[in-house]
Amino acid sequence: MERREFLRTTAALGAAVLTFDKLAAAAQAGKLSVESTPDMVAVMGGEPAVMLQRALQEMGGIDKYVKKGQSVVIKPNIGWDKTPNFAANTNPELVGELVKQCLSAGAKKVTVFDHTCDNWQKCYDHSGIEKAVKAAGGTIVPGNDESYYKEVSIPKGVKLKSAKIHQALLDADVWFNVPVLKNHGGAKMSIAMKNYMGVVWDRGVFHSNDLQQSIADICTYTKKPALNIVDSYRCMRKNGPQGKSPSDTSVLKGLIVSPNIVAADTAAIAMFNQVEKMDIAEVGHIALGEKLNLGTQKVDKLNVKRIKI
Amino acid sequence: MKRVRVIVASLFFAAMTWVFVDFAGKSPEWMRHAIPHIGSYAAIVVWAVLALLLGRVFCSFICPFGILQDVIGRFAPKKWRKHHYSKSYNWLRYSLLAICAVFLILGIATPLLVLDPYSNFGRIAVNIFRPLVMEGNNGLNWIALKFNNYDFYNITIYTVTTLSFLSALVVLLLVGAMALLRGRLFCNTICPVGSLLGLFSRFSLFRIALDESCTKCGLCARACKSECINSKEGTIDASRCVACFNCLGKCKKEKAIHYKWAISPPKPLKGELKNSLSGNKSPLEGVGGSRRSFLLASAAMATTLPLIQGCVKAVAKEIDTTKLTPITPPGSVSLQHFKEKCTACHLCITHCPQQILKPAGFEFGIDYAFKPHLTFYEMAFCNYNCTVCADVCPFHAIVPFQDKDEAGISKEKQTTQIGIAQFDKSLCIVFKENTSCGACSEHCPVQAVRMEPYGDSGLTLPHVYDDLCIGCGGCESICPVRPIKAINILANEVHQRAHAPQEEEAKEVDAESLDFGF
Repeated sequence: MERREFLRTTAALGAAVLTFDKLAAAAQAGKLSVESTPDMVAVMGGEPAVMLQRALQEMGGIDKYVKKGQSVVIKPNIGWDKTPNFAANTNPELVGELVKQCLSAGAKKVTVFDHTCDNWQKCYDHSGIEKAVKAAGGTIVPGNDESYYKEVSIPKGVKLKSAKIHQALLDADVWFNVPVLKNHGGAKMSIAMKNYMGVVWDRGVFHSNDLQQSIADICTYTKKPALNIVDSYRCMRKNGPQGKSPSDTSVLKGLIVSPNIVAADTAAIAMFNQVEKMDIAEVGHIALGEKLNLGTQKVDKLNVKRIKI
Repeated sequence: MKRVRVIVASLFFAAMTWVFVDFAGKSPEWMRHAIPHIGSYAAIVVWAVLALLLGRVFCSFICPFGILQDVIGRFAPKKWRKHHYSKSYNWLRYSLLAICAVFLILGIATPLLVLDPYSNFGRIAVNIFRPLVMEGNNGLNWIALKFNNYDFYNITIYTVTTLSFLSALVVLLLVGAMALLRGRLFCNTICPVGSLLGLFSRFSLFRIALDESCTKCGLCARACKSECINSKEGTIDASRCVACFNCLGKCKKEKAIHYKWAISPPKPLKGELKNSLSGNKSPLEGVGGSRRSFLLASAAMATTLPLIQGCVKAVAKEIDTTKLTPITPPGSVSLQHFKEKCTACHLCITHCPQQILKPAGFEFGIDYAFKPHLTFYEMAFCNYNCTVCADVCPFHAIVPFQDKDEAGISKEKQTTQIGIAQFDKSLCIVFKENTSCGACSEHCPVQAVRMEPYGDSGLTLPHVYDDLCIGCGGCESICPVRPIKAINILANEVHQRAHAPQEEEAKEVDAESLDFGF
């Protein structure tokens, strides 16, 4: 939504006064050409890395989001001390591939972190993400201590007015939100919006301060992810966010990529509903997010590219 | 020989210190598991046999507390380092040994944990050295972060209490002062392990001995930290000799003092014999006295109990009433077992990756003082798959889990119920503020806390299934209610077995036939 707003303003400004700067900006906007880049790409039927390559290609290529010399943060869900077959954490293969892509685009540094719920070393290890990130040439950094977090204000927040956010994300030039699709006891579903909770220190405040509203509020923080990349290769159908056993999961072989966070979550829930019932109205933060202009639930109104591999 | 002793001692001391301050789990696993066992009961038997053969080599080569005293002693000014023979305080040392032994038989480890060298070293290392190392690490991390380097990580210290720090400091200062002024006075007067080994080393086959060529110049006695060489009489008290071999190089008339095979045990000195006799008798008296006073104290405590409980009831709303009994670590069997076996060496406190093991003060009674208990705070609870405390405990106060699979996961641990979550609806924010939460349920690794429909607004309220709950504290740690949380773990005084979570039937999905759904 914000990107489109930006394009619209740029175009308007460009039309109004064609100074040299504005001309350059307009040219830039022209190059991004709205009609060729979809609002969302959904891929099904492939392996995580393959689906990501395809989706990024459809979204205009990684170079469109990561410029040479930039520092990149990838924020997967690494919340739990669980192996990948639980689908409690983002698929490590997907994270590894994204690190690789960012580096190939000339990123100076690719940093990965999460404020985990279980012991962070065990989460990083057993999720397979630490290994995948290191193998791909990225850096995985701790998020276990308050000293890594800096207070920022959330001016558009309804209940949440400020939060302590991880330094790595504050310092990054660009970041990617890479959640896994799963059921969640408290928030009902944990997808892209809920994944934001891992960038803040004081998660307890969310719970005591209207969880659904707080989730929507934190997503209004000015530094938005370039893309939300929802891992629905294997989803956790029930007993989330941790899951009791791998039998709580289903392999969907899906991937949803969009800069529109509300649309990404909406589409992911629609995909989820094919294997397990979940009324999107119960996932309160999605409607609240739409209210805060974070995106739209009307996926059918968007330019969506669906690809089966 | 002294050089050998110094090298071996340095190695043991370094390994021991490393294991005790190793907050990040960087020490090799074999070391972490093997080294602490020098303080186990089984090892004491080995050291006793060794004492019978070679004298108290344990005290000089292996004992971390003894070596710590030697290290401190090195900083003494020269004139303090000149020792001279002194009589042994047999009555005192054997009384203390007997007190420890009798109490241990009665199932009370408290006297031992106050006096024993291994636990004292542990408490000093964990509560004084470890925080220094951790702060050093944080300093390095601070510098590394300036260079965008994440090789270190910052760590906040939660597990050093004022009491645990101060008590360790007092011991360090007292024993340090003794070491500076009188060498191994602690080891030969107070240390129950030293006294026990002394009973064996008295008859050791190899020992330090003076021969006829001795000129009684006293140089060896001057070098003796144990103050056990009586050069005038030409005798050496083998029960106090810690086999440090400092004396060997000091003899002017070379080789008048040897470490050698003593074929016939030398006749004990008259005084010594008398002392040892009285030493054998007096412990019983000593024990009788302290047992009496112990019983008296217990009785006095028992009478005040209703009073305490009354107070507790009066302020029930301000304190968490579930925490009147300590939560003992999984594997510790029961409060009784843990109290009997734990010597409060604090090794588990260092190695708990969640920093939830904290040394107790006197809140659970004298017999639980300094022993670790589980505390839950923000994001810190007992990890479902973790068995570290049981792995490192050298005394089997926390019994290791035997059923670990190749990934190190123990089903027994996962179903050990150390306590049960108590939910107080009146405090829960879902009930009070009509907002959704469910943090407790999210953090439950066994789905013992489930969110169940409540009212007609679509809200759900936690419900605890006691037979599934293992008392890990996940729910308590994340509950946002303050100051008293709405869900708290109440300890099981005897640990129980929870039901393993039932696996639900897998749902086969044909990914290829699935559509996007939108």
